[in-house]
Amino acid sequence: MSALGALDGSGRAGNGIDPTAPLARANPLAKLAVSLTISMALVLSVDVVSAGVALGLELLALPWCGLAPRALARRGWILVVAAVPAAVATAVLGDSDAPVTSGLAIGLRVFAIGLPGVVLLATTDPTDLADALAQKARLPSRFVLAALASMRLFGVLAEEWAALTMARRARGVGGGGPIERVRDWGGRLFALLVLAIRRGAVLATTMESRGFGTSRPRTWARESRLGVGDLLIVLGGLALVAVAVGAAMAAGTWDIVIA
Amino acid sequence: MSAPRSGRSVATSAAGDLTVTTTAPGLRRAHLLAIAISLVIAASIWLVGLPESTSLFDTPLSTLTVPAALVVAFTGITLTGALAAHRPWRVVEIVIASVLGVTGGLFLWVVAQAWNTVTAPLSFFPPASAILAGLWLVPGVLGGLVIRRPGAAVYVELVAAVVEALLGNSWGFATVWYGLIEGLGAEFVLALLLYRAFGLPAALLTGAGAGVAVGLLDSFVYYPEFSASYITAYVVLAVISGAVIAGAGCWALTRALDRAGALAPLGARGTVRI
Amino acid sequence: MESVAPVRITARGWGWRHASRAAWAVRGLDLDVAPGERVLLLGPSGSGKSTLLAGLAGLLTSSAGRSAQDATGEDEGELLLDGVPADRARLAALDAGQARAGLLLQDPTAQTVLARCGDDVAFGLENHAVARHEIWPRVTRALDAVGLRYGLEHPTHRLSGGERQRLALAGVLALRPGLWLLDEPTSMLDPDGAARLRSTIADVLAETGATCVVVEHRVEAWAELVDRVAVLEPGGGVVEQGSPSGVFAAAGERLAAHGVWVPGRHPRVSTRAGSTAGPSLLEARDLAVRPARSAPVAVRGITTGVRAGEVVCLVGPNGSGKSSLALALGGLIPPAQGRVVAGPGLEPPDGAEPHRWRPRELVSRIGTVFQEPQHQFVAATCAEELAVGPRRVGLTPGETETRVADLLARLGLTRLARANPFTLSGGEQRRLSVATVLATRPRVLILDEPTFGQDALTWAALVRLLDELRAQGAGLVMATHDQWLLEHLADRVVVLPAGDPGTS
Repeated sequence: MSALGALDGSGRAGNGIDPTAPLARANPLAKLAVSLTISMALVLSVDVVSAGVALGLELLALPWCGLAPRALARRGWILVVAAVPAAVATAVLGDSDAPVTSGLAIGLRVFAIGLPGVVLLATTDPTDLADALAQKARLPSRFVLAALASMRLFGVLAEEWAALTMARRARGVGGGGPIERVRDWGGRLFALLVLAIRRGAVLATTMESRGFGTSRPRTWARESRLGVGDLLIVLGGLALVAVAVGAAMAAGTWDIVIA
Repeated sequence: MSAPRSGRSVATSAAGDLTVTTTAPGLRRAHLLAIAISLVIAASIWLVGLPESTSLFDTPLSTLTVPAALVVAFTGITLTGALAAHRPWRVVEIVIASVLGVTGGLFLWVVAQAWNTVTAPLSFFPPASAILAGLWLVPGVLGGLVIRRPGAAVYVELVAAVVEALLGNSWGFATVWYGLIEGLGAEFVLALLLYRAFGLPAALLTGAGAGVAVGLLDSFVYYPEFSASYITAYVVLAVISGAVIAGAGCWALTRALDRAGALAPLGARGTVRI
Repeated sequence: MESVAPVRITARGWGWRHASRAAWAVRGLDLDVAPGERVLLLGPSGSGKSTLLAGLAGLLTSSAGRSAQDATGEDEGELLLDGVPADRARLAALDAGQARAGLLLQDPTAQTVLARCGDDVAFGLENHAVARHEIWPRVTRALDAVGLRYGLEHPTHRLSGGERQRLALAGVLALRPGLWLLDEPTSMLDPDGAARLRSTIADVLAETGATCVVVEHRVEAWAELVDRVAVLEPGGGVVEQGSPSGVFAAAGERLAAHGVWVPGRHPRVSTRAGSTAGPSLLEARDLAVRPARSAPVAVRGITTGVRAGEVVCLVGPNGSGKSSLALALGGLIPPAQGRVVAGPGLEPPDGAEPHRWRPRELVSRIGTVFQEPQHQFVAATCAEELAVGPRRVGLTPGETETRVADLLARLGLTRLARANPFTLSGGEQRRLSVATVLATRPRVLILDEPTFGQDALTWAALVRLLDELRAQGAGLVMATHDQWLLEHLADRVVVLPAGDPGTS
């Protein structure tokens, strides 16, 4: 479960990521705003031009993101896995007038929406994101911090899963046909959930005993800063969306899907 | 909703204030005003009517006038009711909701990895993939049924979606929008039930509500090229899937968790209120 | 560490009932603790020790005036810190920038709040609205004081259990509480980690002069640290108190009967040595094991075995790989090198290597008891739990029922037959997890730290049972730190040095 590294920040250090690159060191909130804006805008229309232009501009910005090619490949392959089948399915099964174009549009859109997310996640520590969400976006700190803290319980998840797997084998459970395997898997998940909730209750006690959870003001040991660079990044994101949508409108392919 | 009986008035630790107990929770003037406003808006929608020229899924919007008015009225009343019943969450509720969210995110991530493989055999009838749509709704419905507080379904589904995105999937941060809307679908039903019912019928309705949300959203975002009949089939299947997988599934899971004593820190959960 | 203003505790007829329970967790409690005094709380499980600590920490607040749905509990009487109700004292302290009471719990994995060591310690200070420029010096001092010198950015998930407990200690210490509340803080640590944590706590208490209330089963180690021992009874409040030696002399027998590890009164069970001449059941040949698929080899070059009627104990410091070795012998971890071979006494199915057997073939031959009983539970009631194994090996419903009833009675679990295994107490869970393994009557038993964290009653019951199994011809392999257990049961000891190969 190496992906769990994303939750505790352990997957961030090294690994072909340069944390000092202009986009990488930006406030997570700026990166999040750009990712959300692009995903929101591109979801509105399925067309080759908006998705294609957005993807092209994103690729142009990539050198400033601090992701070495292998880091990008390791985290971005999942986009390929998703884009290709979706494109093929639309091209083959869709009932539009130009199935190949629709398929291409769907595929490009997955890349264009997914790529900013890949960059955000590869270059952002969840703790910094939570700091930014609570201090700058003014989301309720009790919820943001509890969500962040509950991720700690999953550092031991891989060990716990291995222990459950062995323990159930020792009980004679599993190892049968597919139905039994699914049941066994479900049983392990349930046990894991029970253990996690139990630990969550203890964690809540710990947090509360250290003064967490009241409506009183709290301070922040590390300040989340929004600078000019962050403003530029947000403006850049907006410009990217504007250019992509504008190009599609100019080309006459912009097509709000709901209409 | 009883008034304080004893002289001792100390808030729950989550509230953090020492002074909050003198007013009994209930409907106040502001709440009544909010309900009145939503009723006025609903009435004006009904009287004026939605435009005929615009259409949604090849249906003129005007045919949606009455449902739209009803939705506005119901939303106004129930959300106001939820607000009136609202009190700050306890820390243990927030943390357990977060644990459910993170676990749910892991679950969604696994579903996302397997999605294309699992739905491939269903491609003979494209809308058929909606029969698995309920899987996406599990965290929110579970959160609503376990935590039993206004906002729990939205919060848990949202955390799950963020975690799924953090772990990395093919939809990037579009997942977050999805989580928000799916959570709202479940939340809406729980609010309609005034956060009083959490039994099997309520769970089925909650799952179905989230199913409506995901069905419409999927048809809007991913299958805009489908014909109207396909879209109808997709939404209906998503609703059934939501009710069965997320609704009945989470109801059973909540009972199992309760029996395993996992929900004891949340207080009395054994008495299921229907 | 600077000294703090130690807190005075006054409890008068205090009681607490959790909202979901009919019975009072604590009732009629009278207790006075002078500022700077250190008190060890003893009592059987169910006497409300943890509830009292939660109350002192200010985490229990009365439900008066709340609707039934919101109630977390009901209180009576008074529980005062320096004359102020404990829950109010907690909130008042938030404004003062230092906590009145600090709480340390037992589970190391559930007390880490944030991803970096520095942030984790700073968490409480932030909640107490300490100014940023004051936070970091206090964090650094606290980390130094507990001896964690990895730096502020060190990821918390790389810490061992003992280090996590010290991190939690630092998080409390930074808040400068005048009252330390310790709820079995060392019970989930190995002896070495426990000793280090205790000595750190001793230093902290000596330097700050804070008041301290500690709950622990294993009392020797704490006896020299405390001034007074107070004994709680379920529903009876404090029934006995005084100096440690005084209380152990006056009430030692009663405490021991409740499962407390009273110094000088550790349970003695008469056992008979096993034979080392029985038929071989399981053999390891030049075995090397990794704890997990991608982990480095933890133990190598092991050649040993277990015979019918023999108890083999695996001992060694933490990280020596004794648990991994035990699990490999149990057919649960494939060998990295060498082989584990079942002897003819085990009537192996086709293929003599246990890790290749199917689960149902394994369960009738080798039973494994895990350190954490909850990992082994697969059913919704205790009776169901015991029936799983017999059903897997194909016993008739009638036979299964007889075995289940027999085991429930033998391990004193009959009244819990319909209870959910997850809801049992620690000792009950341990007994159930052993019972589930016995249900299929395996010839070999593998036990990983079976007595870990157990009270003296469960301990004695386990030793009696294992001795009986040995006499019936079972072969037992135990990975353990427990010296007292070794003295009672070990026929042969395999010592694993830290990291190095070798047997004796």
